Amino acid sequence: MNVKALLWKAAALHAALPILSFPAAQKLGVTVEEMVQNAELQAQAMCCIAEQTDTMAAVSLMDLSVEAEAFGAAVRFFHDEVPAITGQLVSDLEEAEALAVPDLTAGRIMTCTEGIRLAKERIHDKPVLAGMIGPFSLTGRLMDVTEIMYLCFDDPDAVHTVLKKAAAFLIAYGKALKAAGADGILMAEPLAGILSPDMAEEFSHCYVKQIIDALQEEDFSIIYHNCGNSVASMLDGIFALGADAYHFGNAVDMETVLQTAPQEILCMGNIDPAGQFVQGTPESMTAAVQDLLARCGTYPNFVPSSGCDIPAHASWDNIQAFFAALS
Amino acid sequence: MIFEDISLNLQAGKAKVVKELVKQAIDEGHSAQDILERGLLDGMNIIGEKFKNNEVFVPEVLVAARAMNQGSALLKPLLASEGSTAVGKVALGTIKGDLHDIGKNLVRMMMESKGLEVIDLGSDVPAEVFVETAIKEDCQIIAVSALLTTTMNNMADVVKAAEAAGIRDKVKIMLGGAPISESFAEKIGADCCTHDAATAAETAVSFCQ
Repeated sequence: MNVKALLWKAAALHAALPILSFPAAQKLGVTVEEMVQNAELQAQAMCCIAEQTDTMAAVSLMDLSVEAEAFGAAVRFFHDEVPAITGQLVSDLEEAEALAVPDLTAGRIMTCTEGIRLAKERIHDKPVLAGMIGPFSLTGRLMDVTEIMYLCFDDPDAVHTVLKKAAAFLIAYGKALKAAGADGILMAEPLAGILSPDMAEEFSHCYVKQIIDALQEEDFSIIYHNCGNSVASMLDGIFALGADAYHFGNAVDMETVLQTAPQEILCMGNIDPAGQFVQGTPESMTAAVQDLLARCGTYPNFVPSSGCDIPAHASWDNIQAFFAALS
Repeated sequence: MIFEDISLNLQAGKAKVVKELVKQAIDEGHSAQDILERGLLDGMNIIGEKFKNNEVFVPEVLVAARAMNQGSALLKPLLASEGSTAVGKVALGTIKGDLHDIGKNLVRMMMESKGLEVIDLGSDVPAEVFVETAIKEDCQIIAVSALLTTTMNNMADVVKAAEAAGIRDKVKIMLGGAPISESFAEKIGADCCTHDAATAAETAVSFCQ
């Protein structure tokens, strides 16, 4: 499927592509902990969302622990929350050089790949997009998300050593997801979104571009997601990555993003996942969507979406209100 | 001149240079309080303003705060002998069930840069630990962070625990984290929420005055 063409069609119709997967746990009667470790449940979740909502694509779980776990990082699972990476696997150049790039049987990589394969067997009328972490966000999880900030100054060679291995692994993983039938990848790089523009260029963008160049084709799109607070300061660098579309969080003003973006670049976002999908009401959601459309709906390159992945316990009344407000 | 050098090098995150300059300033006979306020805090205040204005970003703030901490560590024994005391004390942590800590770490550093003494309880902290720490350490403030919509509801337990322990009128309870709003803070009976580390530090100082 040509996801890029479908996204342009969605933009024209104000059809939405929210990052919507975890709330399927409510419909399936399972926990997040079960879903993140079971390919069949992941496929069922994507089918559930594809069948029961007007989303223009099915998206797999935005679980940013999968790739770091494959490298050997410790994972803590929660009943109803996304897993979290704990500890610091790599702390200096020596450990970075010794870090082995895992093969695709490590951790839950095969589980997630199989989930995509099963989803693609069952979903025929919408694209299936696989979730994947970005290189700096992965490296941060291997070096600790706070410590990496210091290491970028103190030991940039160590950071670049891990980044190269992270990028190589993500390219291999991306190819496996493509082979499993995914129509594209939603690449989440939120940790780069708190860097300065210069640091983002040095420690993220060049590696993201490598991955996009290696994977993206006419029938396989990369959607770049970054919900960080500093994103508004680095839009030029982001738009130069070459992704088929860019997805933004509610830390940025979507209208400002669209005013900056060239009109041939697709931009998506950004209804507040916590503030509206979880804590809002159908009425507040409707108002938020109407406001977003009023400010951004005239841009031909805008696709409505959530600002980030929607939490598992989001209200389905609010989810349905989101789509209803767009119809 | 040396104060300006300390401030500029702190802003650049040059911790080793800041330590050397602080030692030099001490050797030159400057008071610890002057070195702290005119050198270190001056630099951190400038960084804090630049951070609020999106002129510098999280990594720059972290390395500047590290320089601040390493410089002020040399001053601590001298400040005590000069009779200087912390502006106030804060029990800080990420709420139970939540492991996210980068925002909390940033808040700690900004609060310390404002002269607050911060007891960092880490992440996944139960409500009663916040309250027990506040009592034991005589804190004026309990500051709680959450990044997950599932864990933010646990923040209400901190307010309830403070009430049950009879200290609610003695401590301010501050909230922070991406999903936290003013209406949520009001709903659970907290005193406020702040949306960035610099404002959190300024608010904490104002609570202690």
